[in-house]
Amino acid sequence: MIFVVSAVVMMSATTPFLWGLRIAITMVPIALLIVEKQYASALRFLVLYLAALGLTFYYLTAQATGFLTAFLVGYCSIVAQFMPAMITAWYVVRTTKIDEFISAMQKMHVPDGITISLAVVMRFFPTIKEEYASIRDAMKMRGVMLGGGSAVKMVEYRMIPLLFSCVNIGDELSAAAITRGLGGKVKRTSIEQLKMQALDYVFIFVFTAAAVIFVASKYMK
Amino acid sequence: MMKNIIEIKNVRFHYKGAKESLQNVSLYIKEGETLLLCGASGSGKTSVLRLINGLIPNYYQGELTGEVMVAGRDISKTPLYELAGVVGTVFQNPRSQFFSVDTDGEIVFGPENVGLEPEEIKRRKELIINEMGIDKLMERSLFELSGGEKQQIACASVAALLPGIILLDEPSSNLDRDAIEKLHDIILKWKKQGKTIIISEHRLWYLKDLFDRVIYMDKGRIKKQWSKEEFLKLDTATIENLKLRPLEVPSYFSVLFNERSSEKETSESGMSNSILLQDFFFSYRSSPYLFRKRHFAESDGDRLELCIPELKLPKGKVIGIVGKNGTGKSTFLRCLCGLEKDCRGIIETDGKVYRGNARIGLSYMVMQDVNHQLFTDSVESEVLLSMSDKDEIRCHEILKNLGLIEYKDTHPMALSGGQKQRVAIASAIAAGAEILLFDEPTSGLDFDHMMKVGLLLKGLAQSGKTVLVSTHDPELIEKCCDYELYIKNGRVESFGGIAEKILKRNEIKESV
Repeated sequence: MIFVVSAVVMMSATTPFLWGLRIAITMVPIALLIVEKQYASALRFLVLYLAALGLTFYYLTAQATGFLTAFLVGYCSIVAQFMPAMITAWYVVRTTKIDEFISAMQKMHVPDGITISLAVVMRFFPTIKEEYASIRDAMKMRGVMLGGGSAVKMVEYRMIPLLFSCVNIGDELSAAAITRGLGGKVKRTSIEQLKMQALDYVFIFVFTAAAVIFVASKYMK
Repeated sequence: MMKNIIEIKNVRFHYKGAKESLQNVSLYIKEGETLLLCGASGSGKTSVLRLINGLIPNYYQGELTGEVMVAGRDISKTPLYELAGVVGTVFQNPRSQFFSVDTDGEIVFGPENVGLEPEEIKRRKELIINEMGIDKLMERSLFELSGGEKQQIACASVAALLPGIILLDEPSSNLDRDAIEKLHDIILKWKKQGKTIIISEHRLWYLKDLFDRVIYMDKGRIKKQWSKEEFLKLDTATIENLKLRPLEVPSYFSVLFNERSSEKETSESGMSNSILLQDFFFSYRSSPYLFRKRHFAESDGDRLELCIPELKLPKGKVIGIVGKNGTGKSTFLRCLCGLEKDCRGIIETDGKVYRGNARIGLSYMVMQDVNHQLFTDSVESEVLLSMSDKDEIRCHEILKNLGLIEYKDTHPMALSGGQKQRVAIASAIAAGAEILLFDEPTSGLDFDHMMKVGLLLKGLAQSGKTVLVSTHDPELIEKCCDYELYIKNGRVESFGGIAEKILKRNEIKESV
C-alpha cells in the first residue's frame, strides 16, 4: 500500500518548484532501484538527472531562445519531472504481487470491478512487453523499422499486430480466469494478510507532509 | 454400472456469425473415465470442452440447442463461478492462462476466488505442491518459466480447486519431450485419484496408457468411438487415414532422446555446395559493464548460451533442428538471422561474406506466432511490402505458387493459421531471403496440416532455398528433413543426414 501512496505523491511533488525538497524526493526512486539491485539503471538515471539539473540551473536561463535550447528544456523537464514518477510506478508494478494488490484494494473498499480491471492491467504489462519485443523483431527482419519513411505507417505496423495479439490473449485470459471462479458472488478471500504497520504510517506521513508543503508554498503566497 | 457425470444430449451449436461448429453431438461420460478427443483442427473438440466447462454458452455466445448436464447441473442455467470447483480446465497456450505474475499467487488464485478460508487455502497449496513435486518452481515470476514449467503450474492451479472433472485442451502443443512426460505423470496421478479426465490432443503417443475411450470428431460430429483395446489394435495405415498422428514415436527418434552422450560427430558427406557459419557465440546474460556492449568469444566458455565456432550447412536442403526446450534452438535461429546484434557470427555463402545487419537480408525467420509478422491490410500488400521494387507480377507468381492468389485482397488476420504461415513465407521469398528459418512451425497442428507444412518446406528446399526448422515433432523430421542438427546446451551435438542416422539408430536399438 505504501507504494501506491508514494507513487501518487511523487507525481504531484515533482511538478511544482521547491528545489531542495524536490531533489530529496527524487532520491527515493534511486533508492528503490538500488533496493531492487538495478545498480546500472540507478547510476544511469542519477547521471542523467544531475546533468538535467545542472543544465537547467546554469545554462537555460529565461531569455535563452533557439531550437536547441527549446529541445534541451523539453529534455530536461522530461528527465527531471517524469522520470522519477515513472521509476516509482515501475517499482510498484514490479514488486506488488497481484494478490496483494487485490486484497489491499479490498481493504480500502474499492469496488471489485475497478480492482479487477486494474489487476488485469498490471498483469498485462509484461505480456505487452513480450509481444512488443517479438513484433519489433519481426519488423527488423522485414526491414520496415522506419515504416518506409512515413510516421503513420511506423505506428500502424507496430500497433496492428500488437492489438490483435493482445485482444486474443485478453480473451483467452478472461476465459481461463472465469473457469477458475473469478467474478463469483462469494466474497473473495486472500492468504495475504495485509496490515498497516508503523513504517507505513511514517511513509504516509512524510509524503503527505511533502505534498502539503509543495501545494501550500505554491498557492498560498 | 457407474452413473454418468457428464451428459451431452443432441447438442447443436454455432458461434455468433460463424457456421455450425457442433452438429447433433451426444456424449455420455462416466465418473472416473479418461476420454481422449481427437480429430483435425476445427473439428469441434474445443467446442465440446467448452460445453462442459460452461464457457459455451456463458462466455462464448452463440446459438445452443440440446441439453448439457455436468454433475447434475444444467450448464446453460448455471453461472460459471459455481462450476469453478467442479470442472477445471488446462488450456493450450501457457502464455494466456495465467492471471498472476508469480507462481504462488497463481496456485491460490482459484481457491481465493471461491472464498475459502486463508488457512484452508494454505493447506491446499502445500498439498498440491507436494503432490506435483513443484516446490522448486515456487516464488518465481511466471514470465521466466519455460513452457513446460508454465504448463505444470497451470495444472497445479487447476488442481488446487479440487475439481472432480479436469479438461485439457491440447496441453502438449508447446512442450518438448521431457515436459510431455511430466504432463503424462500428472494426468496419471489424476486418473488414479478417480477424477474424470477429458483430453483433446493431436499427439497421441504419450496418452497410450491413459485413456479408456477415444472419440473421433470430424466436422462437428462424433464420427467414431473406440474403447482402449480397440483403438490400440488399429494399424498405422488406418490411423494415418483418419489424419491422426501416429501412436508410436518413430523408433529412431526415441533413440535420439534416450542416448545421452554417445555419437558426437558431424558428418559432412555429400555437401558440395554449402553455407559456412563462423563464430556464433551468444549469451542472454549481458556483460557486467555499466553502459553495456561486449563481444562474446569462445573463451567465455560455459557462460555462453550459444557456442558454435564453425558449422557447414548444406544448401537447398531441409535441416531439422532438434533438442530440448531452452537448450538454444531458438537462440541459434535468432542469432543466425541477425536479430541478436551482440552475436557477431559470420555467414559465408557463394563466396560472399555476410556479417552484422547484412544477415537480416540473407535470412528470414517465420516465427512461432505468425500474428506478429503480419503488418498490412491485405495479403498482396503484405508481400509487396518486402519487395524493394514492388513488382506485382512477381508477387502474384509467389502467391500462386503458395496457393494464396485467391486471398490476395483478404486481410491477413482473417486467414487461418496455416494460411497466415504461408503469407509469412511468401513475404520471405519476396524479400529474396536465401535461408528460411522456421521456429516450431507445426506445434499444435493436426497430422494433415503438419504434413502440408512438411511438403511446403520440401518444396522451398527444392527451389534452392536452405530451410532450417526447429521442431519437437518426430514425424516432421522423419517425413521431410534431409539433415538433422542436434543442439544441446547451445553446442552442436551432432549433425548429419537423416537417412544414415535412421540406419545407425535402428542398429543401436536392435543391439540394446
